[in-house]
Amino acid sequence: MRPADLTPVARDVMKLPASVGLMFVSLAAAYVVAVLPWSGAWLLARPDFVLLVLIFWTLNEPRSVGQGIAFAVGLLMDVSDSMLLGQHAFAYVVAVYGAQVLRVRIMSFHLPEQTLHVLGLTVTASCVMLMLNLLLGADFPGFAYFISPVLTAFAWAPVNWVLYSGAVRRRRREAAS
Amino acid sequence: MIREPPPFFHRGPSPLARLTFFTLAAIAVMIADHRFHALETVRLSLSVLAHPVQEIAALPSAAIVRFTDYFTSQDRLLRENRALQAKVLEQAATAQEAKLLRAEQEHLIAMGPGKSRYADNGVIAEVLYTARNPFTRKIVVNQGLTQGIKAGMPVIDGTGVVGQVTAVGTFTSEVTLVTEKGQSVPVMLVRNGLRAVAVGSGKDGAIDVPFMPASADVQDGDLFVTSGIDGTYPPGLVVAKVASVEKNAAYMFARIVARPAAAVDSYRYVMLLPLAPAPPRPETRDEEARKPARAPGPKVRREGGAGAPR
Repeated sequence: MRPADLTPVARDVMKLPASVGLMFVSLAAAYVVAVLPWSGAWLLARPDFVLLVLIFWTLNEPRSVGQGIAFAVGLLMDVSDSMLLGQHAFAYVVAVYGAQVLRVRIMSFHLPEQTLHVLGLTVTASCVMLMLNLLLGADFPGFAYFISPVLTAFAWAPVNWVLYSGAVRRRRREAAS
Repeated sequence: MIREPPPFFHRGPSPLARLTFFTLAAIAVMIADHRFHALETVRLSLSVLAHPVQEIAALPSAAIVRFTDYFTSQDRLLRENRALQAKVLEQAATAQEAKLLRAEQEHLIAMGPGKSRYADNGVIAEVLYTARNPFTRKIVVNQGLTQGIKAGMPVIDGTGVVGQVTAVGTFTSEVTLVTEKGQSVPVMLVRNGLRAVAVGSGKDGAIDVPFMPASADVQDGDLFVTSGIDGTYPPGLVVAKVASVEKNAAYMFARIVARPAAAVDSYRYVMLLPLAPAPPRPETRDEEARKPARAPGPKVRREGGAGAPR
C-alpha cells in the first residue's frame, strides 16, 4: 500500500518524523530570502517564504511546528523588517492556526486546491498586518500590497515539492537502513 | 479507575486555546513596544542575532555593485571627475565667503554666552538597504551603537536633510526619512524667514507644510531650510523646495506641497550629525515668566531676516 492511498491521519501515523535539522535549515533559508535587500516595487512583490515554510511544517509535522514557533519567527521578522514588535508574530500565529484547523482538509487535496487554501491563509496573514498598521495610523499602501500574498501562494507548489522530497528522501533512507 | 491516555495521544491545549494565548501575547508585545518602548533590549539582542544573516543576504547585491563599479568605463569616471571639479570651483567662492561669515559669527558668539549650534563634524555612513516595510519610509545605515550613534541624530546628504536616526542597533541604525508620515522638521523659508513645520506626507517625494495661513507669502520654488529652534537639527540645512501652493478662500490654511531637497530615495552615503546639547531649561516659575525674552525664536528670525536682503 502506498502512503498516498491512506487517509491523511493514517499517513501521519505511518510516517517517520522529518528531521529537526531540515525544519531549521528550511526556515533559515526562507529567512535569508526574506532579508535580501528588497526595496520599492520588489518589496511589495516579495513572497513570504517564511510563512510558507511555517505552513508546510504545520501541515506535515503538526507535532513539532505550531503557533509557538510561528510566534518566535514572527518576532524575528518584525525586528529585521523594522516593524512594531508583534505584528508578524500575530499574523503568522493566525495563519498557522488556520493551517492547523484546516490541516486534514488541505492534506486531502491535490496541489492546485492546496494552493487555493494557502492563498486564503496568506491573504489572511497580510490582512491582519494591514489592519494593525492602519490602526497605528499608516496609509493604505495600495492594492499592490496584495501582490505579495498571491505570489506567496503561487510559490506553494515549488516549496512543497522541495521540502516534501527532502522529507520523503530522508524517510526512505532511514527505512532502507 | 481513570487511566491516563498513552503519551502518543497527548496533544496539549487545543489550537483555539493556543490561538487565544498567542494573540494576547502578540497584543501585549505590541502595546509594550508601541506605548512604552519597553522592548528595546529584546529588539537589540534579536537584531544582533539577525545581523550575520542579513550580512550574508546582502552579499550578492553588494558583489554585483562592486563588480559593476570595477568595470565602470573610464570615460564615465572622467566625465564625473570633470563635473565634480567644476562644482568644486563653483563652490569655492561660496565656501570662502561662508568661512568668513562663520569666523565673524564665531567671534560674535564668543562674545555672548552659548555655543555655536552649527553642524561641525558628523559620521559618514553607507546606506545598506531600504527597510523592508511597505508601511514606512526608513533606510538602514552601517553605523550603530559601536560608532557612538544615538537615536535622534539628524541625517543629511550632499543636498539636504535626509531624516533622523530613530532606532540604533549594534552595528546598524535605522533612519526615518523626512517623507515618512508624521515625521516633522521645524523649517524656515529662506526668502523671508517665515517659520513653519515640514511634515512628511507618507508618499515618496512629497512633504506637506500644514497650518500656513492662506495669506502667507509662499511661492513655488521657495526653499525651506531647518530653523534650528528644535535643538535637534542644526539651522540652515536645506529641507525641501516648494512644489505647489494652493490657496483656497474656503480654507483657513494654504495647501503647500514641497519636494525633499535630499535625494531621499537614492543615495549611497549619508552623514549623521551629532546631537546638539539640549538648551538649558528654565527652572523656576519666575524664570518661566521671563522666558519669551530668552526664547531662541526671535534670534532665528533675525538670522533669516538678515539673510533675506542679500
